[in-house]
Order: sequence, then structure tokens, then C-alpha cells
Amino acid sequence: MNLYTPELVEIKDIIEETPDIRTLKLQFKDPERMKNFEFKAGQFAEYSVFGEGECTFCIASSPTRPEYLECSFKYAGKVTNAMTKLNIGDTMGLRGPYGNSFPIEQMKGKNVVFIAGGIGLAPVRCIIWNVLDLRDQFKDITIIYGARTVGDLVYKNELEDWKQMSGVKTVVTVDPGGETQDWKGEVGFVPTIVEKVAPASKDTVAIICGPPIMIKYTFPVLEKLGFEEENVITTLENRMKCGLGKCGRCNIGSVYVCKDGPVFSYKELKDLPQEY
Amino acid sequence: MEELIISTENFKKIVKELQEKEFRVIGIPEGENKYQEITVEKELSLNSEAAPAGSSFKEYFFPKSEPIFFYKQNNGSVDLFDPIEDKKGIVVIGAKPCDASAMPIISKVFNWDYKDDLFNKRYDSSLIIGMSCHYKDDYCFCVSTKGSPENTKGSDVFLTTLENNYFKVATITPKGEAFVKEYGKHFEKDEKKHNPVERKEAIPEHFNYEKVKTWLDNNFENKFWDTAGEMCLGCAQCAFVCPTCHCFDLVDEQCGSCEGRRAKNWDACQFSLFTKHASGHNPRDNQEKRYRQRISHKFKYYMDKFDDILCTGCGRCARGCPVSLDILQVVEEINAFAEKS
Repeated sequence: MNLYTPELVEIKDIIEETPDIRTLKLQFKDPERMKNFEFKAGQFAEYSVFGEGECTFCIASSPTRPEYLECSFKYAGKVTNAMTKLNIGDTMGLRGPYGNSFPIEQMKGKNVVFIAGGIGLAPVRCIIWNVLDLRDQFKDITIIYGARTVGDLVYKNELEDWKQMSGVKTVVTVDPGGETQDWKGEVGFVPTIVEKVAPASKDTVAIICGPPIMIKYTFPVLEKLGFEEENVITTLENRMKCGLGKCGRCNIGSVYVCKDGPVFSYKELKDLPQEY
Repeated sequence: MEELIISTENFKKIVKELQEKEFRVIGIPEGENKYQEITVEKELSLNSEAAPAGSSFKEYFFPKSEPIFFYKQNNGSVDLFDPIEDKKGIVVIGAKPCDASAMPIISKVFNWDYKDDLFNKRYDSSLIIGMSCHYKDDYCFCVSTKGSPENTKGSDVFLTTLENNYFKVATITPKGEAFVKEYGKHFEKDEKKHNPVERKEAIPEHFNYEKVKTWLDNNFENKFWDTAGEMCLGCAQCAFVCPTCHCFDLVDEQCGSCEGRRAKNWDACQFSLFTKHASGHNPRDNQEKRYRQRISHKFKYYMDKFDDILCTGCGRCARGCPVSLDILQVVEEINAFAEKS
């Protein structure tokens, strides 16, 4: 065993979220490992399909719900394509957890706004459940989630659960043209809806994850609403192989996304070269 | 410790003893230009006037391709197997300072925080015998990168060329000391007081690496980068011959329908696929950006992280570049900007 060798996990359940997004519920083959595996919201892992390779995703389940490790992924390349063909009971590899995490301790006692687009809800979902499972330690919670079309929304049941929760404001939107006739949510791009919802910025941490274009246009909206740069937190997803700060490809200037990230504040991002 | 010397002939005897003890002896054979395993047929050459070998000896510690594990699949279940270790210790003999000094530089990457045992098992059990260098061409610039032709960094034992095929022996590390003790009968006191072989020509300091670093700190966006790497073909020969480049890929190599291996293979930042996301997005989407990465990693990013330069000034990347893109000229240009600003 060396540091690049994954541990074996078994697929316990598969949820077809959308036509091109899947969630896998995984458990370590070794039950003891399942018990002692610890991670923090925001950390990522390397998932293996043997014969195809590895790919990198944030762990999508919350550390407060340790029964399964979950990952949600969109079909995009060789390994994710292979992952769409796996079945319940199949074995995969997992290395991790790696990287830093969301600053949950600093978020305690504050309002939290979660903003996500498309598959970007996966890493945010991890911290959403983490926060909701410790509900009394946080103030107001707002969730703003958007996808291109109604069919592209992920975690549909959980979106309904969050809507029903008291003390949680959940706003779901689809891009213009992506709505169905019976769609009851918002229609509009995520930055527009953030501006419309206008969450209070005082004593508030915003966690934002989604396509680069969504993040790019949401940052100025949050600035306008008065959010402080250090209270706007996002995750980056530069291409990685090792996840351990060695293989050399995920750096942005002197920063390794796999080691110093993947979680960065808007303030930290502003100090980095524009190469992500 | 008293000063010891050794003759070339006696060194060859040590090589023979090492081979008998089943060490892998790596050096440059007579008439060759590549570090390789010294065998009975390929006798070791200890020529301090030789040009640097075509590539460094890093591949004996960080191979071009090595298995991480083997897998066998059967109806959805998987078994993993560790690769068989080559337990033979490696002894590198006659390493140029620009090659030996690269080893601690690579080792820092493989050992900060997480430890890469694939590298460490080979490196920790190795012995590196460096040798002073009397070569100079237009591509050499070790003096500008904290080095010199007599730099002992990375060597356990260091040989300095004396007259009449003798070497002065310096022990640099405890490992080196143990080696000299173990093979003590081949070493002798310098009773005849052999003179050192003088260098014909000194290697000048071409640039000030601290000034270069300061310029790089402030010029990620600069029109200089639009043309600096313009010629680069993205072939990455520079990375493959470089003693300090250490980037790699992890690749599954299927063999038949249900078994194969995952390999750690050399990779390079000059390839367009290196940073390309599955989505198609590529943070370094042109050769100019990739060339900026190469220069910046060597003279700024690595320094920020490990307080050293990711370059030993061996000049190989330029000697072998198919379009004659010369790192020394590029860094000299940066140095000139730094001096003006």
C-alpha cells in the first residue's frame, strides 16, 4: 500500500438525479473503516473505477450523517462515463478525504446563505446538511439553487424537505426557457435571483458553488448587497490527479488547490492570479 | 576526519564489490552520455570534463513509469496487489553537482505533508557520490541557481578531481561517512599531496535569482509572457530531461478485460491536456500560459513553498530544445527587467 492506492468501497445505492447526473451511496468494504472515517464538509476524495482511472469530487454527504459516503457527478469524461455504467454492489476505489474544508466553526452564530448552480449543489449540500443538523448553532438560513431546466435540478426530494423546514428560506430557480408549465419556482439566472432575494449581508456567510460563469456574476451582486469578501466562500475544482500536492497540475500561482483549497474565500481568490 | 584520496582504479574495485553485494550501481559508462546501470560490459567512467548526460538520473528514483498497484476484477468485486519492490539499494557514482543537488529538491515535493514511499524507499536507501565538474558551455548556469561545479548538495560523498587520476574524497553525510569506512581499504592518505585539476574557465553568474523572483512576484500579467514562450512546441522534452521536474499523471493501464495496473507516469506542464478539465475548460489554455507556469514554478512558486529554486542550472532543457528555446536567455531577460525596475 502506498499513498496513491485507494481503499475499496461498495456501491450501496444509486440515485439517478437527472439524465446526466448520478448520486452514488458508498460504504467502505471494511466496516471498521466506515466507523473511523472522518471528514469535514468541503473536503474532496479521489474516486476510482479500476481500468478507467480516478476523478475528483467533493464528498456530497454530510459528516453528521456517516452511514454512507455520497458523491454526485455529471457525465463529463472517461471516468464519469464509466461510473454511469456501474451497478449496486459494484466495487470502486476511494482515496481521501483531502484538502481544507468550509469554515463551519466561524459560521456558527451567523446567518448562512447557500448559493448553488447545477451540479455545484453537491459540495454545498454537504455543508447544508451539516448546518441543518446543528440548526440551533446558526441564525437565518437561505438556500438559493438554480439549474438550466427543471429536469436538471438535483436532490429534488431534499429541495422539497428544505422548503418545508421552518427557519430555512429555500428559493429554487431555473434559467429562462428552462421552466415547465407547472413550474412554481423562480425563473431567472442565479445572480439575478440572489439580487431579488437580497439576503441580509450583516453577520452573514455566503457559500457559493456552481459553474464559473455563475460565480463570476454572483460575486458582484454579493458585493452590492454588502457582503464582506472574507465572508463569501467558494470551492475551486482545478484538475487534479494525486490530490496530495505532488503531481503538479492544480496550482494557481504558489497555491495548490488540492492542499490549500478547494475552499477559498472571495478575498483569497482576489489575491490569486487569474488562472483557474 | 583526515583527508583521503582514491584512485580511479580503486574506485572501480569498489564498484565491483558493490555489484557483488547486489547494489544497483548507476553511473555514466565509458564513451556514453547517459546515466545507466554499470555492468561488467559497461565500465564506469569518472570524467569530470564530460558534458552533462542527456538526462539526469532522477528516473532511478522517480521512474518514467511505475506501477502503484495491480488490480483484478471479477463480477464487480476487485482485488488490489502491491507491486513487487526492487530491494536493491542504488549507488550513484560520479553525479554532476547539477544532478545530485536536484535530489533534495525533488524529495521536498514528495515529502511535504504526505510522504511518497515509492520515491522514499529508493532514495532513503541510496548513496549518491557526487563529483566536481570541469565542464562549461553556453548553457551552463549552475552558479546562478545557488549551485556551483563544486556544490556538494545532494551528495553523500563528494569527489574532487586531482592530478594523475586521483580524487579527493569528502564525506558529506553520515551515510557517506559509513560508506568510506566500509570501503576504507580502497582509500588512502594524500601523502604525495596531489594538486587539484584547475578549471579552465569559471562559470559566471548570469542572473540574480532573488531579483528574478521579485520580478515574477509582481508580473504574472505582463506582455513579456505573450512572446517568451511563443516558440515552445509543447513537446516537454525540457521537463523530461530536467533533474528537478517532478510532475506526474496517474493512469490505469488495462490488460485484457479484467486486470491491469495503475501507473504513476511522468507528465509535464507544457502539455495542453495537463490542466484541462473534463468540461473542456482549461486554466492554462495556450502555450504562453504554460510557459509562464514553467518559468514561474521554477523561479517563484517552488521558492514560495520550499525556499529553494526548482532549477539547478544544468542547461539540458536548452541544449535539447528542438526550437532552441533557452531558459537562460529568458531568465536573463527577466533579470534585466528586474534591474531596470
